[in-house]
Amino acid sequence: MTFCLERMASCFQGLIPATLYTCSNDGVPNVAYLSHVEYYDATHVALSFQFFNKSHQNILENPNALVRLVDPDTGQGWTLRLRYERSETSGPVFDSMALRIEAIASYCGLKGIFKLLAADVYEVVSAEKTLEETGAPEGTSWITGSRTSLDPVFTMRALQSLAQRIHQADSLECLLESILAALEEFFGFNHSMILLTGRNEGELVTIATRGYPNNGVGAEARFGEGIVGMVAEARKPIRISGLIRAMLYGQAIRARATEQGVTSLQHRIALPGLAQPESQLGVPLLVRSDLIGVLCIESESPYRFHEEDRSTVELLGSYVAIAIQNMMLKERVEAADAPPPTRQTNPEPRSANHPAKREVVYYRGDECVMVDGEYLIRSLPANIFWKLVTTRAAEGRMEFTNRELRLDKSLNLPEWKDNLESRLLLLRRRLEQKCPDIRIVPRARGRFALELGCELSLQERP
Amino acid sequence: MKIDSQMAAFLQEGLPTHIATRNAQLEPSGARVTAIKVDADGEHVTVFLPAIAAPPLLADLRDNGQVAVVLARPIDERSCQVKGTFVESWTPTADEEVFAREQFERALASVERVGIPRVGSAAWQMWPCVAVRFRAEALFTQTPGPNAGARLP
Repeated sequence: MTFCLERMASCFQGLIPATLYTCSNDGVPNVAYLSHVEYYDATHVALSFQFFNKSHQNILENPNALVRLVDPDTGQGWTLRLRYERSETSGPVFDSMALRIEAIASYCGLKGIFKLLAADVYEVVSAEKTLEETGAPEGTSWITGSRTSLDPVFTMRALQSLAQRIHQADSLECLLESILAALEEFFGFNHSMILLTGRNEGELVTIATRGYPNNGVGAEARFGEGIVGMVAEARKPIRISGLIRAMLYGQAIRARATEQGVTSLQHRIALPGLAQPESQLGVPLLVRSDLIGVLCIESESPYRFHEEDRSTVELLGSYVAIAIQNMMLKERVEAADAPPPTRQTNPEPRSANHPAKREVVYYRGDECVMVDGEYLIRSLPANIFWKLVTTRAAEGRMEFTNRELRLDKSLNLPEWKDNLESRLLLLRRRLEQKCPDIRIVPRARGRFALELGCELSLQERP
Repeated sequence: MKIDSQMAAFLQEGLPTHIATRNAQLEPSGARVTAIKVDADGEHVTVFLPAIAAPPLLADLRDNGQVAVVLARPIDERSCQVKGTFVESWTPTADEEVFAREQFERALASVERVGIPRVGSAAWQMWPCVAVRFRAEALFTQTPGPNAGARLP
């Protein structure tokens, strides 16, 4: 063996379609495009098997095969002579390939239809540079411009700097902002978001974002939907390169499946974040075995996240998860010691830039708040908001404590891991975005004020 | 079989195209081709195979004649495969060179439309070529999905 598959990691991203060459037992060659080729180990690769087709039939008859790949960093083609060994339907390589395919399928409403049947494992007999596909010199990239491999020393320093920022954060809000700002500053990841698990099972809520025109805080993702939902469901990282091409592939399958009367296609869901992301990398935020959220970064470049980026962000995810959970616990403990709220009332002048009066409607059945006919927030933050505005109207006080919210049975907070602080942060961000004249302003640990720059008309509906 | 004009237009549209052959031990070989042309009779197809990649494939073709060519349109993944038997090979004429270069240019543009810039292929050695003619004997749809691999009329 004279080849080194590890050095071909970039080829295994599926950005430029691979071609698989096989031959039937009666000597008829076959060539087909292939959705995924995955590194298996130093002498094996795994090829995606999604439909029972001629290629698969051929390799069962005659194990000799050939796969051609193109390195997206250099444009260099590689020809791997292969020998089929077995098909796997479980295990880490199968799981990783299946997840990536399912994430794409969920965007196209094809979950359960566009799926991996098996990871076909092949021994790599030889690997040679493809003669006609001559590449640019190593270390240069034609997809990402000047992108070259990251220096490990740089990565370690960047992680150290990021850890320092995390240590300096004194609130959940500050911590989340520090993490996303540091990802941009030290790694150049300009579009990122953190979602935390919601009150409802199988639901994530966006709590912090960076690099989007609309901050998107409060946007929800269900487990199993899109890359974020798939990461949460599987509790494993997913990286997708060349998403546009992958989705075109999925849409082609959707069209053929519809023609053939295959039903149960789900509705498409809108991509989170960027309108047309080309690369996405999502990592679960796990503390021991508990999922607390998902960190997702995106790019409009087709091959933005390299192997080392994935490893770095995965490592970072574990650290960030612990930091977020520690901060939530710390804020909870501090909130318990907060002094009772004062009865101070509204001191603010009305803002000239906002309406003098806002109509707030709370739909109890849906746990949803609309302000001036527009959606503000739902679920627990909606219940908290309604509690605050009605208390303020009834008692005339503007200060509240986290503790009193925790003790309020009507809010139905879980006794443990209620995530109250993160829900208050979420509510605050949504108010900043949708009605900045209604403000939640922290006053001290575990204490905040509801400040109004307008009058509120309150209505509760079933 | 006869390739109709609509299918011929698709094949010659300018799309990423690959050729497969096999040797006596049933080991496949393959290469990216510069261009593909359907003869006026609709029964024969010529592919322009980069000369640098040609020797092992020509050896296979002279040994057993079996050939397959696949192409795909990146924007909608429409794909098909033509299978046939080798007839002859020659050095392309100047007119054929113009035809092949123009078609390859369109193939690069088709890939660029799905976000893959053509600069990566700048160093690819897609010319000079060897023209390889084969008799088309079967056509298959390769568009991804449950029907992939089905024979076309």
